Amino acid sequence: MTYKTELGRTWWLKNSAFKAYMLREATVLPLVFFILCMLAGIYSLTRGEASWNSWVAVMGNPLVLALNALALVASLYHAATFFVLFPRVMPIRLGGKKVPDNLIVAGQWAGVAGVFVLAAWIFWGVL
Amino acid sequence: MKTMEVRIQRYLPEQHSEPVVESYQVPFDDSTSVLDALNSIKEEQDSSLSYRWSCRMAICGSCGFMINGEPKLGCKVFLRDYAAAGTLLIEPLAHFPVERDLIVDLEQFMQHLDAIQPYIIKEQANGVSEMTPHKQTPAQMDKYQQFSDCINCGLCYAACPQFGLNPEFIGPGALALAHRYNLDSRDEGRAERMPLIGSEEGAWSCTFVGYCSEVCPQSVDPAAAVNQAKVLSAQDMVLQLFRRKK
Repeated sequence: MTYKTELGRTWWLKNSAFKAYMLREATVLPLVFFILCMLAGIYSLTRGEASWNSWVAVMGNPLVLALNALALVASLYHAATFFVLFPRVMPIRLGGKKVPDNLIVAGQWAGVAGVFVLAAWIFWGVL
Repeated sequence: MKTMEVRIQRYLPEQHSEPVVESYQVPFDDSTSVLDALNSIKEEQDSSLSYRWSCRMAICGSCGFMINGEPKLGCKVFLRDYAAAGTLLIEPLAHFPVERDLIVDLEQFMQHLDAIQPYIIKEQANGVSEMTPHKQTPAQMDKYQQFSDCINCGLCYAACPQFGLNPEFIGPGALALAHRYNLDSRDEGRAERMPLIGSEEGAWSCTFVGYCSEVCPQSVDPAAAVNQAKVLSAQDMVLQLFRRKK
């Protein structure tokens, strides 16, 4: 007779590695809120100026700003974990030699910085 | 000589309906491994204690246990590392059925290992003598060598919550070995392995928790292998779509 324990709902609380994993997965929650805000914004744009202005007003609400700031932090955290995993999943070889992991991670962060610069260039002065 | 309290999860099916924890005082010095402690308990205090071990040098992969909740090889961790905590809890590897004390039933892992055909498969009768050496360049060897260090200890399975939730999941160790042979330039068995690797119980059940790679005593990085296998599986899926259109 063998004995087998089943995993309960709180299995992820037993270990710091599992907690970090659940935190990574939970970053999707504030991002869902951000996406709903974006979709509402696009919809309000199609409904005319009054609708758009009221959406802009809602976006200025401190609670909404705080949740979207959380979404930004969450997406950066998720990016940080993803960038580290990327060279392990897609090892890149140039001329038969493996490109160092650090270089790939740095390249991805350079991409993020590029997107931030581009967004700042497009939206600076509009906000 | 200093002593430490070592607590061990015991399960004697003829006596216990479920496991119980028993406590032992074990003398130790800087060179005492957890496996040494178990041997000392069995020899000096309780001969009924059961556990697997063999090589004492992290090669055979027999003495995997949960040590303070983390999957580790008993011969590769030392009591001195737990002196600050003051106590040590040794349990059988998680996610496997317990047969007796610290001995788990690894049958599920063995079945998964067998299913992925962890050996070089060659197409037969191609006119080449079996005595012909299979040449391989260092660059070709470099592609899979990291994944070939697996000692089948099962620590990665004890670290994998997806295997804990669904034992049908092929799991990190077997998938890493499947990937190791798929990457081998001498192997021609990839087409035979991919249907299983690409199935729901294959690589796609992995959610990249990544703990399997952290606990691997051989630094195999099974999480990387499993997720590289997902890339291969996706490539195969796309290629098949084009093939069907012809």
